Amino acid sequence: MIDVLLKIIVFGTVVGGIWGLVASGFSLIFGVSRILNFAHGAAFVCAAYVAILLSGSGFNVYLSILAGLAVSGLLGYLVYLLTRPVRKNEVMVIIVTLALALLIQQILLVNFGDKGISMLPLVQGFVELNNIKVTNMRIASFVLAVASLVSLDLMVSKTRIGKKIIATSQDSEAAMLTGIDVEKVLILVMVLSSILAGFAGILYAQIFAISPETSLKALIYAFAIVILGGLGSLRGSIVSSFIVGYILVLTITFLGARWSEFVMLLAIVTILVVRPTGLFGVEE
Amino acid sequence: MKNIPKLFGFLMILVSAALPVVIPEAYLYLIGLTYLFAILAISWDLMVGYTGQVNLGHTTFVGLGAYVAALLQTPLRMGIAIHPLAAIIIGGLAAALVGFFIGIITLRLRGYYFSLVTAILPLVFMQTVFVWRDVFGGEEGFSIAGYSLVDTTLSKYYFSLALLLISVAAMRWIVKSRIGLRFMAIRDSEELAESIGIDTTKYKVLAFVLSSFFAGIAGAAIVNYRYTVGPELYDVPLMLLIILSAVLGGLGTIYGPLIGAVVIYLAKNWWLRDLIEITSLPVNDEVVLYAVLIAIGILMPHGIFHELRERVGERVKH
Amino acid sequence: MRYAKAVLTLLILLAAVTSLCVQGGQKAERGKVVIGVIGPMSSPEGMAEEKAVKLAVEEINAQGGILGYPVEVVVGDTKLDSNTASTEFRRLATIENADVVIGGFSSGVMLTMMETMAETKTLFLADASSPAHAKKVAENYDRYKYWFRVTQNNGSTFALDLADMVKFLKDSGYDVKKVYIIRDEHVWTDPVVEALIPLLEEQGVEIVKDVRVPRGYSEYEQLIQEADSLDADLIMPILAIVGTGDILTKQWVTLKPNILLAGHDLAAIDAELYNKTNGMANYEVFLADGGALITAPPTEKCKEFVEAYKKKYGHYPESHQAYGAYDAVYLYKTVVEMAAKDGEDDPFNPDVLVNYLEKFDASNPIMLTRPIAFYKNHDLMWGDNYVRNWISQWQDGKQYIIYPESVANGELKLPPWIE
Repeated sequence: MIDVLLKIIVFGTVVGGIWGLVASGFSLIFGVSRILNFAHGAAFVCAAYVAILLSGSGFNVYLSILAGLAVSGLLGYLVYLLTRPVRKNEVMVIIVTLALALLIQQILLVNFGDKGISMLPLVQGFVELNNIKVTNMRIASFVLAVASLVSLDLMVSKTRIGKKIIATSQDSEAAMLTGIDVEKVLILVMVLSSILAGFAGILYAQIFAISPETSLKALIYAFAIVILGGLGSLRGSIVSSFIVGYILVLTITFLGARWSEFVMLLAIVTILVVRPTGLFGVEE
Repeated sequence: MKNIPKLFGFLMILVSAALPVVIPEAYLYLIGLTYLFAILAISWDLMVGYTGQVNLGHTTFVGLGAYVAALLQTPLRMGIAIHPLAAIIIGGLAAALVGFFIGIITLRLRGYYFSLVTAILPLVFMQTVFVWRDVFGGEEGFSIAGYSLVDTTLSKYYFSLALLLISVAAMRWIVKSRIGLRFMAIRDSEELAESIGIDTTKYKVLAFVLSSFFAGIAGAAIVNYRYTVGPELYDVPLMLLIILSAVLGGLGTIYGPLIGAVVIYLAKNWWLRDLIEITSLPVNDEVVLYAVLIAIGILMPHGIFHELRERVGERVKH
Repeated sequence: MRYAKAVLTLLILLAAVTSLCVQGGQKAERGKVVIGVIGPMSSPEGMAEEKAVKLAVEEINAQGGILGYPVEVVVGDTKLDSNTASTEFRRLATIENADVVIGGFSSGVMLTMMETMAETKTLFLADASSPAHAKKVAENYDRYKYWFRVTQNNGSTFALDLADMVKFLKDSGYDVKKVYIIRDEHVWTDPVVEALIPLLEEQGVEIVKDVRVPRGYSEYEQLIQEADSLDADLIMPILAIVGTGDILTKQWVTLKPNILLAGHDLAAIDAELYNKTNGMANYEVFLADGGALITAPPTEKCKEFVEAYKKKYGHYPESHQAYGAYDAVYLYKTVVEMAAKDGEDDPFNPDVLVNYLEKFDASNPIMLTRPIAFYKNHDLMWGDNYVRNWISQWQDGKQYIIYPESVANGELKLPPWIE
């Protein structure tokens, strides 16, 4: 019993950490701009592809990772540029970002095929905890993810930039009146969030593997987490990313792997139906 | 002057009806399929273009209609074989019923929730196909050959043409009626619509149910047309193609999405691939379509035809 | 009004284009042989099919064509969508007047194309692996007889291969008592496992758990550890649709459990797997689907084909569909020539050619890149002397066939971490 519990905590926490990086950015973007960034999964995948391809062709692995992060940041900026003219038009924002996501997915598919590619883990080996083998890479990913999430939370809640971000998400027009350059805040949030997603993608590619289809998977997880945590609530997203991680592992352990996707999707729909503002959300 | 659009419509119908005389069978088959696809784009427009609620899960109802009709039509799956026409209608009703339940749950809330739920729905239904594959046939779907409503290409063509005309007429009638006016009032401002006594939830649900019904009918018709049903009828690429067609043609116009659907579907299945091969760029037709969608979304959010009309109109005025 | 004009212009344009097509498609006296190839042309499977067919046709034309007629290739793209596939097949059959269509990929798309094939009565030398396709031929022969599976064995034959694999491992000194199955949450794996259970029972092997995973599943580490805790000595993947077999291999190599990984994993067949996982795909035992491997061609013709392909396109075949498509062209040429020799009125008539294709049965396989013969339901014949999914292994960046001996070019190597 202890074994099972430990297993659920260990595996759920690691997965939760990675998805937390994706979801927190998704949530931040929605918070400041009311944009549902359907192209968020693309940043996740693109960063990983760039890092893998560069390091595979002989570049230093850390520089390759940096390049991957830069590309995901650029992608965030691209989303900003593309959505700027239609920001007031909900329909078009959704359509434009969704089309961008699928466009990138197809470009990857045509050029690199549908098979997964993966990255050599930066740290090899594993440790045994009470008969459970946990790879060092998983532990490293967890530490890195939590460190990033904590610094993100600190940045938002403690720094001046963070105050601007909060002000903009609460009321962008009022923020503008108090002299905050809302556009700059938007750019910052979009780029930063995309880099976080890219970082998650690079970690994911080391533990698992990445393929063009992974972008949709990342998006769905981000969706699920953000809905659970409440749209626009950063801390809600962080907490619920771990909850989603545990649900996933619980499902695999007790119901069987075949139900993992189904239960996830069903859980999202149920939450939306029962408590549409999410567990930590506030009424709009 | 007023009669000209009517005259033109009549002419279009005549031309469509006469197409089989001049066009070879294989293209006729494609054009017939295009008509069914057009019903999907128009019915999406009925919800999105008229009430302003972004439904990202229209394919849920396409797939539902398709599977329900297919299961009822062929005795090989559940041991029942009702008349195909009845199966198609039941397919539409099943889609409408599911649309009703989803609508009353999600449409009470404003903003993004409806889009979010509908974005996830097709994925959930697609999973049901895999999980209960004894019933739905899993990834490969199943065939209803021998129990279809139509069996020759010619009959398929006229069947889908008739279905398209009926659907367009019905949806035209709906949006021109008092109900349609209320839909548009909700689209323009929910607060205002409520303040003049419109039960916004009720009308949003009504639009959703009607839209789902036509999607279900078209889904069921597609199964009768090509004889097989499969999970790709639920899938995201089909959804994007529907959105693209409607956005290209112009939301909230019924005729716009009709024309958009015809252009997009024929382009995708006909000449776009050859065009891309000539350019020898490392892209495929989907990349091109998505790029077009982004460009139109940003540059002419009201659709190409609307935009053209306005520009030409301006020039005439000057 | 202007709106109307725009639409009218469009319509006229449409009519003009189509009428042009009509003229192009008029049925004429035979001046050539047209071979259609259909597949998902943005995926490696479809690309390999197209390239292989074009290569074969080039060779045949250089030698004077089929019965003296030059051969022309027309291409259809299914886009992995049933609607598109049925339209494209119809175009190849009726507008391009294809005498035979080769290819197809993915069970559902194939099911739809078979309906179009039946309507247009077109010979179809096909890919895909679902038993449902051949079953249709058996159930309604007159309607579906134009269909022959050329590329690979019916998916349910994997049971025989997997049972042989276990036997081979035992014979090679790796004792197997308990098997942990990880398989696709998909209809194709049901008959495989159903047939596998009694075959393993005969060998005294127990299935300790049978786990089904959905498309895109990635959490294999937990399953590997569960297999370990259940004392399994073999993890047997039966994975194709899931698309993440590479993750299983990678996590298996990372965790280094005292369990061998051996089964059918579509990812393992990919010649690039080793590079794509940075070498973390070593020692996996798998089945070479389609009966041929680039690094271990079973026939002389296969060896020549692989090299010719490399010469023409600069790389080896990107998927095993290439062998089937290449064989299909030569198979078609052979049966047409047989029919002509027998003095058939129209040696290109598909109804006639079906009879000639059926002549390649158990006692009379045709030697192409692989020895090809058909069952009564037009399924590709399985066996050591025909096509089967060779038992193979990844060893230090290279794929080797390790069983049966008649084609093997390597021996089983156990991973160093297994005791």
